[in-house]
Amino acid sequence: MNWQLLPQFATTGLLAGGPIALMALGLVLIFKSSYIFNFAQGQLLLIGALITWWFSVELGLPLWVSIAIALILSALLGLVIERLALRPMTGQPLLSIILMTLGLSQVLQGSALLFFGGNQRNFPQIFPAGDPYKIITPFVYEGNPIVLILKQNLVWSFIVAILGVIVIGAFFKFTKAGLAMRATSEDHELAQSIGLRIHRIFGISWMLAAVVATIGGVLLATSSGLDMSLSIVVLAAFPAVLLGGLESIPGTIIGGLLIGLSVGLVSASTNQFIRNSGEIMPYVVLLLVLMIRPEGLFGQKRIERI
Amino acid sequence: MRSKIYILLSLLVLVALVLGACAPAATEEPPPPPPPEPTAPPEPEPEIPSGPPDLTGETITIYHFGDLSGPYAAITSPLVHGAEDAVVAVNEAGGIYGAMLDVKFADTAGSIDEAVAAFDRFTGEDDNPLVMITYGSGEVEALAQRFAESKVVNITAGLSARGFYIDSGYSFGLGPIYPDQFGLVMTFLQDNWAAYKPADAGDEIKLAYISWPTAFGQGALTPETRAFLDDLGIEVVAEETYDVSPAADTTTAILNAQVAGANVIWTNTLAFGVSVVLNDLNSLGLRDQFVVATDNWGMDLATYAFLADGAYGVGLISTFPYLWWTDVDNTGVQYAESLFAANERPSSEHNVGYLLLVAGIDMTVQAIQHAIDTVGYENLTGEAVHDALMDLSPFEALDGVLRVDYSGTNRSPHVSQIRMIKGGPDAFNILQDWTDTPDLRPVE
Amino acid sequence: MTVLRPAGEFDTSYAEDMATIRRKWQWVLLFASIIALYMLPLYASQSMVALVNRICITIIAVQGLNLLTGYTGQISLGQAAFMTTGGYISALLVNELGWPFYFSMPAAALGAGVIGLIFGLPSLRVKGFYLVMSTLAAQFIIPWFTRNAFKDLLNGAQGLNVAVPVIFGLEINTPQRYLMLTLTALIITTIIAYNVSRSRLGRAFITVRDNDLAAEVLGVNLFRVKLQAFFLAAMFAGLAGALAAHQLRHINSETFNLTDSIILMGMLVIGGLGSNLGPFFGAIVVEMLIEIATILGPVFSDILPSTAYGAVQALRPLFFGTALMLFLIFEPRGLAYRWNLMKAAWRLRPFSH
Repeated sequence: MNWQLLPQFATTGLLAGGPIALMALGLVLIFKSSYIFNFAQGQLLLIGALITWWFSVELGLPLWVSIAIALILSALLGLVIERLALRPMTGQPLLSIILMTLGLSQVLQGSALLFFGGNQRNFPQIFPAGDPYKIITPFVYEGNPIVLILKQNLVWSFIVAILGVIVIGAFFKFTKAGLAMRATSEDHELAQSIGLRIHRIFGISWMLAAVVATIGGVLLATSSGLDMSLSIVVLAAFPAVLLGGLESIPGTIIGGLLIGLSVGLVSASTNQFIRNSGEIMPYVVLLLVLMIRPEGLFGQKRIERI
Repeated sequence: MRSKIYILLSLLVLVALVLGACAPAATEEPPPPPPPEPTAPPEPEPEIPSGPPDLTGETITIYHFGDLSGPYAAITSPLVHGAEDAVVAVNEAGGIYGAMLDVKFADTAGSIDEAVAAFDRFTGEDDNPLVMITYGSGEVEALAQRFAESKVVNITAGLSARGFYIDSGYSFGLGPIYPDQFGLVMTFLQDNWAAYKPADAGDEIKLAYISWPTAFGQGALTPETRAFLDDLGIEVVAEETYDVSPAADTTTAILNAQVAGANVIWTNTLAFGVSVVLNDLNSLGLRDQFVVATDNWGMDLATYAFLADGAYGVGLISTFPYLWWTDVDNTGVQYAESLFAANERPSSEHNVGYLLLVAGIDMTVQAIQHAIDTVGYENLTGEAVHDALMDLSPFEALDGVLRVDYSGTNRSPHVSQIRMIKGGPDAFNILQDWTDTPDLRPVE
Repeated sequence: MTVLRPAGEFDTSYAEDMATIRRKWQWVLLFASIIALYMLPLYASQSMVALVNRICITIIAVQGLNLLTGYTGQISLGQAAFMTTGGYISALLVNELGWPFYFSMPAAALGAGVIGLIFGLPSLRVKGFYLVMSTLAAQFIIPWFTRNAFKDLLNGAQGLNVAVPVIFGLEINTPQRYLMLTLTALIITTIIAYNVSRSRLGRAFITVRDNDLAAEVLGVNLFRVKLQAFFLAAMFAGLAGALAAHQLRHINSETFNLTDSIILMGMLVIGGLGSNLGPFFGAIVVEMLIEIATILGPVFSDILPSTAYGAVQALRPLFFGTALMLFLIFEPRGLAYRWNLMKAAWRLRPFSH
């Protein structure tokens, strides 16, 4: 263990957990309302970022306008996906639904490549790249205080992401639409019988998920760049969702942060093999969770009967 | 209603099947190279050629495949365009003794199985493929044996050592292999350490090898280079990897290198890989603690596209085994520039890839021409082109833009400049002119 | 679905009742088509033979997945990772230990099977997408392992160059020669898969799929049966991976990736879950779609010049994803079901509806 790097990596790991939490939120939103685990979330992220890039770089619109347009377009995309691809799958077995979102991910990835091309591209900077924040910690190593060097975009991405999760959590807790969505997630038939239009609610949750994905995509892309591999980043969010518990919004924050932290902690190792395990840490954590507590930290345990 | 959909669906599938079944037939359409024309002037004694042969009406196909949609797309696209524009220009200038060049491309998305599929397809279509150009290290390493078996010349921009010197012989590099490049720069730094060392660095070079985990990224760190560094007295204190993506985060790698006491970073990547390292070094405020050096692809105009600030590039050192667009006195560079302008390529492709492949095509054409001179068009095979490349060596492509030597067992040039970024874009200043690189080819 | 037979045709012995192939002409047809396939290099182009090779190898991997997902109902997104395992094992045995190819192949299958067992362990506690996630974990951890562990042996991310298989002194180094291997392997795996599916084990698989709690009550040892399914699936994948690696003569952690796992799963659904014909239909149709994308790519590049050559790589996932989605919406039982309907309609004519 490189002890002098531990505070640094623990902090950057936690900060990197913010965007992971945001991505996990997108997954939870859809799962909560319709019991669909969306494997195409990464592609929604990619397409949101690509649309933003296109409006701001190719068309030269101001970045904020481009982001607004991208948010609207991705919301529409979410709606269309729900209507065309997932509505016909209502009541189908789990396998079909999982494969539907996998098929969707392939279609979206192919379309993104077809219309935007596979080139790596520079994304407009939202936060300045230089001038990192330097925080002097109370820890001392070999006589010198340990200084944390934090990139601005890392800190701000974290803040935006966590704010996003909190806003959406509040929406669920305090608004009527949010209540309706929670009711739907409880029991589809019951919700329908008290007059909730559950299909509209499915639509709204997909729209929200796509919007959340776009925010995540923009945050990640602005940190250093944008290419087709952006869609893979979401794969780190799947374990976060399971860790937090599939239906829990606060769980996504804890899950995201814990996943980020676990990646950060192995980075501080002196052993290169352990250090390189950062990329699979989310999945190692996932396997541990599955073995010890499959319902996650905040999830609901359900029993089964014949 | 529902049954109609089924009928429609099964019809679609049927059409798909029929189309698929037709597919190989369709690709077979181009007829095999016609037998030697009886009208050609009889050449009973090849020693006394009665003037150059007239090959009007013949077609010579050059195949190439590379990654235009995967991780290496950014560098492959100018490479491919350079090759294609150069071929068109060769044809406009009369081709090779009147024979027209044709190019066929396959996109492999950076995957080896796609590259093998492309190789199988091309060799299946053509009984006598002469030259295939490739662009990636992984592809060369995986296919080198097949090129040698099928006797197809492989001219490549992927310069990892294994592709050229193990189980191969038909792969020819457009630049020195990465171990040679690495060795050259490290020798230079060792000799001139006082002049280039970071302000508070010690007298010893402590090297951090921070690179992609791929065949390309790890291509320079071989057992041979490790032994060579040992002899130089350079210690490798850290070996770190980062993702092949402009969105990669190298913070962990850099901080670990710093803790290990490194003062030189070698990164064996393309422009966007180097940019990630330079960006992160600057965001961490550690740029002045390291000398950053890279292979020939790292120093490129594309580097600037990915730098958060153009000034971050200053001080980057790399090998440079060719001339640059700014060497405007050179007629070869002028020629490439005219091609670039005529084809209206975007400024983002005004980089090493384009220039190098214009030179590469010139080299190929020279070799094919030489092969025809030596064995005659009817005996033109991949083997003949292979022999011609060796026979011509050492020679210059595109009036000295590229200097190659494939004599004996050499399959890559062993000479290069070293350059350093000193100002804005294009300010790739020469630190050391053409010098022989150390020979660090792998021994089996 | 029940087998429809003409009136007056009865089985007169148990063997006859169990028989798969009932008529002499069916035997003749079967052998004729197998021989025709073996003779393929005589009348088909090299690219055609290479395509058939690819299809055969893919079918083997899908057959394994069919046992696990189609029959046992355990969804797996890790099939490609087990192909990686098989590929590496065979490559190491041949390269390092000089084993002959025909020993390394079953060893690769067994080795992959054991690794499959390990990643099948969570299936005792979890199911549904929890299980999907644990197989997804395999899809990340196994390639990562090949990149980072035993670098001297596995050569990191660069991967291994794999020796050309030599069988009785003959170098199997062209697609034409390789066809003999892949076809033979496919015939063997087909026989195994078919017989597993109609044995006691196969029936246990189906009970677990249809209702695992009920199966347990009926006396099926859930854990054991699920693990057997994982083992078999990974074995098939390992064999397919070894075949593919020796054909490519190269393997690295990216040779078989997550997308491949998704495609294998999609092939199974398009072909038909829980049917022994399914893998054949699915692999053939999807590989054909991919070929069509390869041919249409340049056409698209002309229409959308901005995509340049990227069109091929864009069209493939696009075509595959679209086909998968259409099948899920309109024919979730896959082509095999459709084929059976067609057969039934033929037998019932002129009264078919």
